[in-house]
Amino acid sequence: MGYTNLRYYVGGMEDWIEHNGPVERSPAPVAARPVIVAPQPGGSRAFVWLEILASWPLERLIGFWLGMIVVFGVIYWLTGIGMGWGLQAGNVEVKPDLSGFATAIYFSFVTALSIGYGDVIPTGPLRILAVIEGIAGLLVFGCVISKLVSRRQEELTAEIHHTTFEDRLDRVRTNLHLVFSDLGSVQQLQAEQGVLPDQVRRRLESTVRVFRGELQTIHDLLYKSHVEPDEEALESLLANLAICLQSLVEISASRPAGNGQSAALEAGLRAIGNLAQEICGECVPRVYAPALKESMDQIQELARRLA
Amino acid sequence: MVKPQSTEKIPYEPAISRDEIMARLEDRALVILNVMPKETYADGHIPGSISLPVAEIEAKARALLANPVQEIAVYCAGPT
Repeated sequence: MGYTNLRYYVGGMEDWIEHNGPVERSPAPVAARPVIVAPQPGGSRAFVWLEILASWPLERLIGFWLGMIVVFGVIYWLTGIGMGWGLQAGNVEVKPDLSGFATAIYFSFVTALSIGYGDVIPTGPLRILAVIEGIAGLLVFGCVISKLVSRRQEELTAEIHHTTFEDRLDRVRTNLHLVFSDLGSVQQLQAEQGVLPDQVRRRLESTVRVFRGELQTIHDLLYKSHVEPDEEALESLLANLAICLQSLVEISASRPAGNGQSAALEAGLRAIGNLAQEICGECVPRVYAPALKESMDQIQELARRLA
Repeated sequence: MVKPQSTEKIPYEPAISRDEIMARLEDRALVILNVMPKETYADGHIPGSISLPVAEIEAKARALLANPVQEIAVYCAGPT
């Protein structure tokens, strides 16, 4: 399944106890929570802030960028007041007044966008500051642009996911319906003849196989889908699942025990029972409406009876 | 990865030693995975290990262990 860092402790529990390893006794948690992974060592610390920057949403990035320009502009302006070395526009010192502030902001924009007209120039230590602003401006602006580009990409991916997902749901629904009608006819035959002829049993086997596949899909959907299923669609799915399980339970209960049991059928039924038992309102990772939880619990109950 | 149906084909390499597990019980970077049934797990397991019965690996591994490079030590009942 793609785990690359997997190792086996061959001795297992037997070896562990034999060598007096500590043993803990506690039941396994019902709803398994994902393991929280400790941060992996390695990866350059120096560029962490750049990654943080890239992970910001677009609005915040633009805000940060504008804020940075204004802050730099104010610094250019203030150094002109306090220390006497400031910006120069055409060999004339920029005055520490309101028009000077406008010039400083203008210079800050020109620098951050790396335009550099050269009509206003920094002097003295301000040149270092201007270079720093130039670099920072490029990086942040680059992040903004990449966000804009990837946004469309993300929309497309989400759309594709959504379409595939809907298709999958449709398929499951159709198949469950088929399973139900198949089970119904098997049940009828069983009631008429008491014992299932070979042909019918084979048909039941294949129905059980299809059912198992679709159950797996629903199970996956509840446990690990990235797409939130629509509650209405889920409700009809679960209802279908419940009636299929119900008739499977009935068939399984009135089936003559002992002779003529096929191993494939048994295995299929067991797998269905095990899978469906994991579907209940409290054990799936997401929280659903009470009605949905109820039908999930009902499914679990049916699965218990099947097992 | 381990397929539930083909237990006899599990490659026992690479291995992790008892001593290493013992030394790293508190190390959160190492996930110790118990693949025995839930009942057996409840009867006694290595402290801090998590339960993922073999039969459920395919269904639950992704949800439980999302990181494919996660360091994992797998064990079961004994050297069978």
